[in-house]
Formats: sequence, C-alpha cells, structure tokens
Amino acid sequence: MKQLLTPKRLTINIGLALLLLITVMFACSIIGTETVSLKAVFSGSGSQASVNPDYEIFVRIRLPRIILAGLVGAALACAGAVFQVLLRNPLADPYILGISSGAGLGAVIAVISGFNWTLWGRSPIAVFAFAGALGTVWLVWFIGRLTGKFHVTGLLLAGVVVNAFFSALMMFLTSIAKSDQVYATIFWLMGNMTEGDFLALWISAGCVIGGIAALFHISPQLNALSFGADDARIMGVNIFKTRTIAFGIAAGITAVAVSLSGLIGFVGLVVPHGIRLIFGPDHRQLIPLSGIVGAIFLIVADTLARIIVAPAQLPVGVVTAIIGGPFFLILLVKYSRKVSWLK
Amino acid sequence: MSGIIEVENLSFGYISESIILKDMSFEVAQGAFIAIVGPNGAGKSTLLNLMCQVLRPKSGMIRIDSKPIGSYGTQALAEKVAVVRQEFVPIFGFSVMETVLMARTPYYSPMGFERQADREIVDDALKSTDTAQFASRPLTSLSSGERQRVFIARALAQNSLIMLLDEPTNFLDLKHQVGIYDLLKTAQVEKGKTIIAVTHDINLAAQYCDEILLLGTDSSYHFGKTKTVFLPEKIKEIFKVDIFAGKVGQESFFIPLGKYAKNGKQINYESRGSEP
Repeated sequence: MKQLLTPKRLTINIGLALLLLITVMFACSIIGTETVSLKAVFSGSGSQASVNPDYEIFVRIRLPRIILAGLVGAALACAGAVFQVLLRNPLADPYILGISSGAGLGAVIAVISGFNWTLWGRSPIAVFAFAGALGTVWLVWFIGRLTGKFHVTGLLLAGVVVNAFFSALMMFLTSIAKSDQVYATIFWLMGNMTEGDFLALWISAGCVIGGIAALFHISPQLNALSFGADDARIMGVNIFKTRTIAFGIAAGITAVAVSLSGLIGFVGLVVPHGIRLIFGPDHRQLIPLSGIVGAIFLIVADTLARIIVAPAQLPVGVVTAIIGGPFFLILLVKYSRKVSWLK
Repeated sequence: MSGIIEVENLSFGYISESIILKDMSFEVAQGAFIAIVGPNGAGKSTLLNLMCQVLRPKSGMIRIDSKPIGSYGTQALAEKVAVVRQEFVPIFGFSVMETVLMARTPYYSPMGFERQADREIVDDALKSTDTAQFASRPLTSLSSGERQRVFIARALAQNSLIMLLDEPTNFLDLKHQVGIYDLLKTAQVEKGKTIIAVTHDINLAAQYCDEILLLGTDSSYHFGKTKTVFLPEKIKEIFKVDIFAGKVGQESFFIPLGKYAKNGKQINYESRGSEP
C-alpha cells in the first residue's frame, strides 16, 4: 500500500532531506585531522599579518571539498536514475554508455602529453576527461541512432563496444607511459576529491544544480517512459524531446562530475535504487531525493576517506564501493518484497 | 458526414518484397464497436499500429476525425486515440493509481502535478473499470485480468474519442473475457467511444461488435456488418479450418473442428443445416 505523491508530501520530503544534507555538511566540516574551533572560525579570516588558521582550514579547504563531494554525488545519483529509466535497465549507472572509458582515455592522454596549464582553475586532466566523456557519449548516441531510431539494445551494445575499444586504447597508452605518469593515471581513475579553484566549483555547481532542476521538470514524462517509448507516446508524451533532454543532461552532469573527481563508482547505482525501494519509483520524487541523498552519501564517504588512514587519504571511490555494496545488499533484502522488478 | 477513422488505399509491408496490407479502404463510424479478426500474420496488429502511428503506411492514407494522421502532434493524437497494447508491465513498481494518472501527463500543471479535473477523470475511469478498490496496489501484484482492466482504465483516462485494443482478452478466463467485453460495450454505449479491438475470439466479436474487419493472409479483407462478414464459408476460407456454426437465441457462434474431431461428418452435416 502506498499513498499518492502530492506537492505537499514532496515538499516536506525534499525539505527534510535538505535539512539532513545541511546537518551532514556541517558535521563533516568539523571532523578532520585538525580540530577546528567553530568559535575561532566565526571570528573571521584574521589580519594580513596573523592568519586565523581555523578559518583558513574551514573555509578554504574543508568547505570547498565538502561542496565538491556534494555536487559530484548529486550529479552521479541523478544521472544514474535517469539512465536507468531511459535504458529501462535497473543495472544502468552513469558510466554504462562508455563515459568512464572516454573520460579515462582523456585523462591518460592529458597525463602522458604532460600539459601544464589550467582552464578556469582546472588541470588538463579534468578538461580532457570532460571532453573525453562528452565525446564518448556523443559517439555512442550517434552509433545507437545508426542501429535504429532509439533502440535500447543498440545503444547498450554501442556503449559496450566503445567502452571496450577506449579501454584498450587506454591500456595501450598506460603501457608505454612512464611509471610516475602511470601512478597519476591510476590515482585519478580511482576517484578523488581534490580541492579546486573556487571559480571551477561555482561553474560546476551551476551546471549540476541547473541540470537537476531541468530533470525534475521533465520527471512526469520520465514516469511515462518507464512503460516504454510506444506507451509513452500513445499517452501523448513527446518522447524524442524527453529523451534528448534527459540523455543530454544526464551525460553532461556525469561529465562534469567525472572531470571534478575522476571515476567514483556505486553512487549512481546505489542511491537511486535505495530511494526507489523506500519512496517508490515516481521520478518527481526520485530525481530531487537522489540528488540530495547522493550528495550526503558522497560527503560522508569522502569524510571517511579523509580520516580513516589519516594523515594519508584513501581514494573516495574505494570508500563508496566498500560502504555502498553491503548497504545496497541490506536494502535489497529488506525491501525486495515491496518492489516488483526484483522478482 | 464521414467516419471518425477513414482508411484510404492503405498499403504496408515490413520489408519491400512482402506486402501485408494491400490497397485497403474502409471507414469507421463514430461510436462503433469494431473487431479486427483474422489468422496469425494477416496484419491485425500491424493495422492497429498504423492507426496510432507506431508504424507509418507505405502508401495510402489514414484520416482521424477528417485530418490526416500524420498532421497530428503527439499530444493532439493522444487526445483522439488511446491504445491498450498487449499486456505489458513497466520496469519499476508503479501503483494502479499512478499508472492510470499517467494518462494525464500532458495536462499536468507546470509544477508537474495533476489538477483537480485530472483526478476526477481518473477516478471515473477507475470506477467504470471496477479497479478503484485496488488503486493503491502495485501493478505487479494484480492478476492478468485485473491488470488488463487497469490498462483499459488508463486508456479511458486519456478521454480520447477512439480506443484501440490489441487482443484485450488474451490469457483471460471465460468470466474475465466477458467482463472485458462488457466493459468495452459500456464505454461504447455510455461514453460514445469508438472502439476497435484486435481479437482471436470470433464468438465474443460476434456477440459484441457492430462491424467486423476480417483480414486474410493473402492481403484480402472483408469489412461490414457482423452478420454479413461472419458467414461460416467465409470463416472457413479465411482461417482454412473446418467450422461448426450454430445459434443460441440471436447469437451466432463458431466452433473449429480439428482433424481428430469425433464423428466429424455428422457435425459438418449439421453445420450445413444451420446455415441461413
């Protein structure tokens, strides 16, 4: 038995989730290798001569990193939810159409060519990974269209083939690279939060939040699409427009996330399913809650990555996989009776 | 006054060498209940898909409400034509209410929620299909008869003039078969819907439908009043099977006779005797 989603319920649920997000952000910004005194933070940045270290750590290091983790988590979780409905496949994640290998290839090329410049505060690795990710999605979309109008199977196969090909190229380049370059590449591939420039952070935040808002806007159409393209069109939904917008935005915010933090797995798969199991499949609720919970998930994971082996740091991708896997299994067992597609 | 659906010289084939529908023309009057009947591969579902633009004709023309079907936008066509396809379950577990509400998606408010009018239309559709009592249950927890009624409710909630159904009584037991046809007849009589159903059940079609479109595998077709199309010789010829035809009250029925039918000759004799 479940109740119908009403604007009031949706607003309350989103509000509560946002409250939780803010609490988590606040809690995680206090935790760390250095103890930060809040009182000291609020006393300001200090003068030119004597910098206030608490303020510096809090505002310049921890806060940007937490915002970054939140953005990446939100983007990956929403993109995962969208790819799952577009491809009508519960196993889909943001990387399913070859974004991971495209971004990886871009990163490897950047590392090997040894570029040394920045664009909007981002390193060549980030810029190349972004371009690689978007280029790959475009290529997969293009090949998918050649096989038919929008054949899910065609798209998935194109994704698998492009993925395999780019992975092979990536391995080839890694095998001829110098060892320190290989290390940089592998470290990037594992997924990491690195404190970046504020400008890059704000631009990415705009892209991700705007993208999620647009996805929310088309969420009733995504609901209809879960019944398949023909059914959705029969009900009067413009499937070409819906699919193009959903596909473009999901790929775009994934590319932004990948360029910010490398390849972080599991968020895009675990979070949407968790939300679906607890709150149901309605995309009007699924999209915003996935975004917020994805942010919380990655902020917590990144905080763990910072403190578990302090003063060293773990790649956050390792943490998400280690806590995401069992967490998902518990959800799966506990709620599988509620949900039909698991049968 | 022309019909609500006009099919004019329609031809279609999935590959260029083989034509399934050839030079077909017929007209469906508003408020009629029509069955499309014929052997497997005769193009029944194909014709249905052409009438809702899932497929495009190779040549010829289909007009809906006197405008060419191609001139409609997606939403405008959904206002004219609703379709119940062969039973189909979505990938995620939506409830009955959520499923039926989806028919109103194009009319949602800018915030993405249904309006009061949409709720009323959906409540009405749930009530008339007798699905309101399990409105909050997930679609997958229903039996196939119940689920079929939900999809009919969704089609009703589109508030369209025309309703197309692809084998609506597939996999249903006798009671539920009759239940579905009663439901459709009520929609025709009370709501003035034009209903076109693809079916394998000649007997139910004979009982409920005003007109029959009988398709043959050789691209031949017969269209007309049920009584004039459903003649034993014609059914025998199109389906290539022996038929026993009889009458109960005013209803005609047809029973196929296989190779091992016992005492087949005598029944064949009977069948000839019962012809008008």
